[in-house]
Amino acid sequence: MNVRSGAPGGSTRIEMRGVSKAFGSHGNASPVAALANLDLRVPEGSFVSVVGPSGCGKTTILRLVDGLLAADAGEVRVSGAPPRPGPQVGFVFQGFRLIPWATVEANVDFALTSLRLDKAERAERVSRYLATVGLSRFAKAYPGTLSGGMKQRVALARALATDPEILLMDEPFASLDAQTRELMQTELMKLWEQRRQTVLFVTHSVDEAILLSDRIVLMSPRPGRVIEEIEVGLPHPRWQYDVRATPRFTELRTRLWSAIRELVLNDPSSDFHNPSGRPTA
Amino acid sequence: MIAIYRTLFLFALIGLWWIVSLNVGANLIPTPVATLQAAGQLIADGRLAVALGDSLITFVGGYGLAALVAVPLGLVMGMFLPVGKTLEVYVYALAATPRVAFIPLIIVFLGLGFEAKIFIVFLGAVMPIIVNTYAGVLAVDQELIEMARSVRASQFQIFRRILLPGSVPFIIAGLRIGATIGLINTIVAELYTAVRGLGGLLAIYGNTFRMAEYFVIVIVLAIIGVIVSECLRQVEGRLARWKAID
Repeated sequence: MNVRSGAPGGSTRIEMRGVSKAFGSHGNASPVAALANLDLRVPEGSFVSVVGPSGCGKTTILRLVDGLLAADAGEVRVSGAPPRPGPQVGFVFQGFRLIPWATVEANVDFALTSLRLDKAERAERVSRYLATVGLSRFAKAYPGTLSGGMKQRVALARALATDPEILLMDEPFASLDAQTRELMQTELMKLWEQRRQTVLFVTHSVDEAILLSDRIVLMSPRPGRVIEEIEVGLPHPRWQYDVRATPRFTELRTRLWSAIRELVLNDPSSDFHNPSGRPTA
Repeated sequence: MIAIYRTLFLFALIGLWWIVSLNVGANLIPTPVATLQAAGQLIADGRLAVALGDSLITFVGGYGLAALVAVPLGLVMGMFLPVGKTLEVYVYALAATPRVAFIPLIIVFLGLGFEAKIFIVFLGAVMPIIVNTYAGVLAVDQELIEMARSVRASQFQIFRRILLPGSVPFIIAGLRIGATIGLINTIVAELYTAVRGLGGLLAIYGNTFRMAEYFVIVIVLAIIGVIVSECLRQVEGRLARWKAID
């Protein structure tokens, strides 16, 4: 076991400098700022989680990095170039986004459309990644017949199938039940340990962020800004010991939770807005 | 089990028909037996076959043309929103206008023959198919389209794999409504232009109080409606197999 911080070589895979993004500027309503002057660096081969209350623009970050959105101001660079959607980046969406009328294998195959592979190669890739996530038996099934955990694995296989250097994950386990989530977290750790992609992982869950990441980026809501960056500093591989039992885990958890609580209580548009901190009667 | 109930209900209907016909008088409502005899007569002398052929050509021609125009047009409207937003007002306006109002104009331009009949059917069937196809494309899950963009699928791939299959249920619904209106307009066309086909026979027998023959035509029309609707249901079932398994 070794303590890793940052990345081997230390080069930057994903870089955002002074990025701002607002939504709703089409209509008459004034645009809502999702991100304001955001700086974020993800070193090559590291696992970075973005944590923060709802409305802090976490998903917007991923869409900007994938090139699905353009920033209003500032600069986004992925592998040194402006972002562009494609096979070099795998995106695991919140809510799976599987094509309901396509079989499991066709769903995974869909990610390969932009790669110039022949039929046999494509079929081989699909079956390899379905095997990786343990779904070979369900290749011909339709997504509607699968459980949440299985759907999540199909989405993961689809994101992995192009063998991307970068994985963007948007609360991938949020809709799973507690046990499935834990199993999927372990599977993700193992997959990442083999390939060491650069991962940008968005989550609501403080525990999940500590468990998986090298570094945690804490964001504030409305507009989204980076409040704090924390090195986790727990040794990998983490499925070989009980991370939650370590003092470091407890320490990080307490620190992150008190920061988030503060953010939510001071956010005027939050349901829990209560700047004095006293219990509301 | 349902099939048995349905058959029983059919017998009940025929029984009711019988009772009514005996009480109202054969001049207004023929007995089932008289209707069956009339049907045999119409089939034997070939008049039913000729009329059915005429009507089917009108219906299939107009409806087929409507589907060929309306499905691509609805898809284009949904995929290229400036086109859709520009045309939708006119499509909705025309869809709300009783298309029968155009019949005199159509007769002026196309005469009383097949061209006019086919155009009347076309005009009736085309609107619901356009409106539904357009709505179907607009209803396609935007998140799936974003996913497709994220894997850098081409515009054609997005159309072929996401937009088209996603709007199929709407297209089929439009085709079913279009078929019903197309069938109505087939009869309307045959009543208002050159009197031919099943609509023509309907007019002749109705006007001369030959109620047994008249009933035969009505029943044939009902059967055509059921067959067309059932065919489209089968198509829908095949295309939506992925839904059924759940």
